[in-house]
Amino acid sequence: MAVKKRDPFYLRLARGFNEYIRMFREGDLWTRLSYLIMGAGSLARGQIAKGLLFLGGEAAFIWFYAGFGWRYLKDFGTLGTNAQLRVWDEADEVFRRIPGDNSMLILLYSVLTLAAILPLVMLWKSNVRAAYKAQKLRESNKSLPGFLADAKTLLDNRFHMTLLSFPMITLALFTALPIVFMVLIAFTNFDKSHQPPGSLFGWVGLANMRNVVFSNPLYARSFGGILGWTFVWAVFATFSNYILGMILALMINKKGIKLKRMWRTIFVTTIAIPQFVSLMLVSKMFTDTGVVNVILQRLHIVSSPIPFLTDANWARFMVVMINIWVGIPYTMLMSTGILMNIPAELYESASIDGATPVQTFISITLPYMLFVTGPYLITTFVGNINNFNVIYLLTAGGPATLDYYQGGKTDLLVTWLYKLTVNEQNYSLASTIGIFIFVIVAALSLTVYNLTGSVKKEDQFS
Amino acid sequence: MNVRKLTAIALAALITLGAASALADTVPLKVWGSQENQALLGELIEEFKAANPGVEWDISLGVVSEADAQTRYSEDPAAAADIFAFANDQLRTLVTSDSLSEIAGSRLEAVEAANTAGSVESATLDGVLYGFPMTADNGYFMYYDKSVFSEEDVLSLDRMLEVANAAGKKVFMDVSNGWYIASFFLGAGCTLDIGEDGKQICDFNNANGLAAAEAIRKFTADPAFMTGDDSVLQGGMGGSIAAGVSGTWNASAMEDKLGENYAAAPLPSFTCGGELKHMASFIGTKILGVNSLSDYVKEAMQLAEYLTNEASQLKFFEQRALGPTNIVAAANPAVQENIALAALSAQSAWGVSQKNVLNGYWGPAEAFGLEMENKSDADLQGLLDQLASQATQ
Amino acid sequence: MTNAEIYKPAGRSASIKSRERAANAAIYTVLSVMSLFWLLPVLWLLVSSFRGEPGAYTEYIMPKQWTLSNYTRLFTDTALFSFPRWYMNTLFVAVCSCAITTFLTLMVAYTYSRLRFRWRRGLMNISLVLGMFPGFMSMIAIYHFMKAIGLDQSLAALIMVYSGGAALGYYVAKGFFDTIPKALDEAATIDGCTRNGIFWKIILPSSLPIVAYTALTAFIAPWLDFIFVSVIMKDNYANYTVSVGLFRMIERENIYQYYTRFCAGAVLVAIPITLLFVKMQKYYVEGVTGGAVKG
Repeated sequence: MAVKKRDPFYLRLARGFNEYIRMFREGDLWTRLSYLIMGAGSLARGQIAKGLLFLGGEAAFIWFYAGFGWRYLKDFGTLGTNAQLRVWDEADEVFRRIPGDNSMLILLYSVLTLAAILPLVMLWKSNVRAAYKAQKLRESNKSLPGFLADAKTLLDNRFHMTLLSFPMITLALFTALPIVFMVLIAFTNFDKSHQPPGSLFGWVGLANMRNVVFSNPLYARSFGGILGWTFVWAVFATFSNYILGMILALMINKKGIKLKRMWRTIFVTTIAIPQFVSLMLVSKMFTDTGVVNVILQRLHIVSSPIPFLTDANWARFMVVMINIWVGIPYTMLMSTGILMNIPAELYESASIDGATPVQTFISITLPYMLFVTGPYLITTFVGNINNFNVIYLLTAGGPATLDYYQGGKTDLLVTWLYKLTVNEQNYSLASTIGIFIFVIVAALSLTVYNLTGSVKKEDQFS
Repeated sequence: MNVRKLTAIALAALITLGAASALADTVPLKVWGSQENQALLGELIEEFKAANPGVEWDISLGVVSEADAQTRYSEDPAAAADIFAFANDQLRTLVTSDSLSEIAGSRLEAVEAANTAGSVESATLDGVLYGFPMTADNGYFMYYDKSVFSEEDVLSLDRMLEVANAAGKKVFMDVSNGWYIASFFLGAGCTLDIGEDGKQICDFNNANGLAAAEAIRKFTADPAFMTGDDSVLQGGMGGSIAAGVSGTWNASAMEDKLGENYAAAPLPSFTCGGELKHMASFIGTKILGVNSLSDYVKEAMQLAEYLTNEASQLKFFEQRALGPTNIVAAANPAVQENIALAALSAQSAWGVSQKNVLNGYWGPAEAFGLEMENKSDADLQGLLDQLASQATQ
Repeated sequence: MTNAEIYKPAGRSASIKSRERAANAAIYTVLSVMSLFWLLPVLWLLVSSFRGEPGAYTEYIMPKQWTLSNYTRLFTDTALFSFPRWYMNTLFVAVCSCAITTFLTLMVAYTYSRLRFRWRRGLMNISLVLGMFPGFMSMIAIYHFMKAIGLDQSLAALIMVYSGGAALGYYVAKGFFDTIPKALDEAATIDGCTRNGIFWKIILPSSLPIVAYTALTAFIAPWLDFIFVSVIMKDNYANYTVSVGLFRMIERENIYQYYTRFCAGAVLVAIPITLLFVKMQKYYVEGVTGGAVKG
């Protein structure tokens, strides 16, 4: 499939507008009425079911706006002005509250309400186009497709709509809208002294961004330091698992090694135990008084406990090592199959050339794997940048340090952000940092992802 | 504005009428308490229902520990319990978010009369009482092994370390924890307070603080010093550990491990800049608060008052070994004889209210403690300056 | 190695054999040592689950008393921690979300792999980017959406949220579908098969491994997640899943009493999942292999 050169976005938008103006000009009364009352065109031309669907959609939208959305949307500009009031009730000797505006719900449901415009626009467009098309077909005395025939295209030409509609709704509700909500919070003063419903919060513009970037040197220093370690961690965590998992798979797959199934099962057990259990267990094993230090001291290998998790360098080393313990089994399973697919001729020629196993690995296995699993590697890298579980359960970001604001030496940006939300209730600062993480990660991986060979050659496989 | 106030009052009147007429109907209430208190709370709620007939009570129980109450509350105040138990260090945050219903009028007088002044103070902010004191045991002191230390020994930290070293035992304290490490600083005369602007005041970097930090450094460098979390103390007491700083929640585990040698005392004194200073401690209470958004504030108050009265507090003591705040209950001989509670109450002479500590303090304090435990040789004054500046952010 | 050696067939095969044996021996050693590292924590968990003494930490390595009561009390002592109920909740959520997620994931993957439409690349990029936002940030919002439709604190909400991720987790399945020759589709189209028909008659039957892989990962997720459950369920203990229930057991005030029972519970969770993995290993490997190749 050749990649079409596409016009810039605004040009396409302008062309889209023109299209609807043209249809309005050429449209008869019913088509024009469809611009206002959805489904009018279809109903007038006998496509009753279709028309009712359009009309119902519009009615549902109006009902949603009048009954729910408007209540919140009207305060979107201020995020609420009426604070909660307190009234003394003499008879019962208690204070009663008169609920005020809830800034958080106003923000959240406004986002939802605004987003509801999107499906309306899509429905409206298809309503206008349907009306126009029906009019043209009538004018040229052709028969109109029935409702069933229309519906059938949903299983064929428009099958993607059928398949994607539900997942897209969940994507919007559970992922996209919450993200928009969190992004907007970065522009408010939602922190511990502005907690709804007791008190209101409002818009503060770019104040939080300024704080993180330069107004507050401690924030800036913490952000820089933690960002640096996050990348170091992501690189080490990703590649150590990748390469070691592959070597493990190679060893198990090697001809002549017996009990392959048993070996694999042993390594897979760590996947089966809930991660928070195994990580908590391991972190307890490596404390100063943990079983590892006890054994090392009994065997007189060390005289005083090794500060596995309390010394910054040790802790950073340990989280990478323990992450290997957790992660290798996945890579092993994945590489097992791929390795078997490597063309045997490649290896044969290498063995004739007298290459050592290490040389074969570096010059044949690794490049082949890298070529085939590029996208997987990027996803894993991103996953590691946001690897909340491993870090939080192992060290909770510790050892704590005075160098960072409320942070520790193994804190990733995500865990730091979590601490800021939970301990400090500083949602606005956390959201600001969230946006920074997001921009960095997204820019990086989108670029790499779209440059990777296997994505570009997506259609060449078959 | 006036119009709004008027409508508010009118609304309030309506709500009151509504509540009054609703009395005949069911009164749904939800109570949050910690896991271990569930059984007893259930029992007390049944008693309350029996004692207050004529109302159709529909009271449910939810599990939220006192430590998590504020976090859980803020996730969704409208879905939170009508009555919830919380540790009093959360008081300020809860009040800032207008989450607690004030106690006033005759109820205020009753609470003030029934409970110790300290416990009432612990639930009061800017002269307003925000909850019913429930237990007075959210603090720490010293558990020790009678076969290792004498009553004399546990008066001084230096002496304890000497004895422990001679016996090949350890003295346990979780220094890398803001809660415990404050003992030294507060004992040396430093303060943690809230300023006019609502920000934390922390002067741990003054001369007293520096002396305290030097004492901490000396303590952590001692071969008899041992640190770790609760489970280390629970596992090691009676074995390699002969004394440990902890609170009443560990009393049964400690008694388990030490058996006949189980003993407790206030924290010892420590040498600070050449002088002997007594270690201070945070002292906190657990409070039963009424959700300000409850539809049945009056009934919730009634139940909360019942759950914290003399008889209920005695039951909490008998079944759960929780220290009463009620004056009569606290004077009960059985309470007085409880080893852990006696030590706690003796330590309260050096107690500092935890109400005046904001969340920003804990992180940097932990970091400082870790530096000490790791025997870092960094410049103490520099570390303290950082600690103070971060805690007051 | 010189050329001369290569032309000495007899000697070479002997030396290859001995070298081969040495290599295998080395591999066996490495594998055994690694297995030890992998199994020791698991063994430690097992030992702790049979330990008679309470608490998370003992000063000795082997327990002094052995007991089965940590297991039996999980099922008999249910007043505070209702383990059997949580187990059933988790099983229910896992089965439902497994069925829905598998179906949705395959649908999305098929769409992106086979169908060509205007927003395809755009949607794929958007999905990729959205997946990078730290997930827990959105939990508060999701909770309130659920509350608005009256589903807060319910198992249905959990199922919806776990299945909702399907729109983002299609990569592996899409990669697998990409490897199925397009010629099959084209032939079917010529025979008059609709795209719906192709999905059911051509793609699904040749995708057993990826179906198994998707189902397996979807089934396991509810057993392991605990952060999300605690946000959705809050104080509703009756609707907890095992992982969040287990997590409650090791909170400060419970850990001394419940630590060994926590270990027993973890073992009970791990057993079925391990068995599933062992049984389905073949499909899992085939599925993830096919999928990861095209990512």
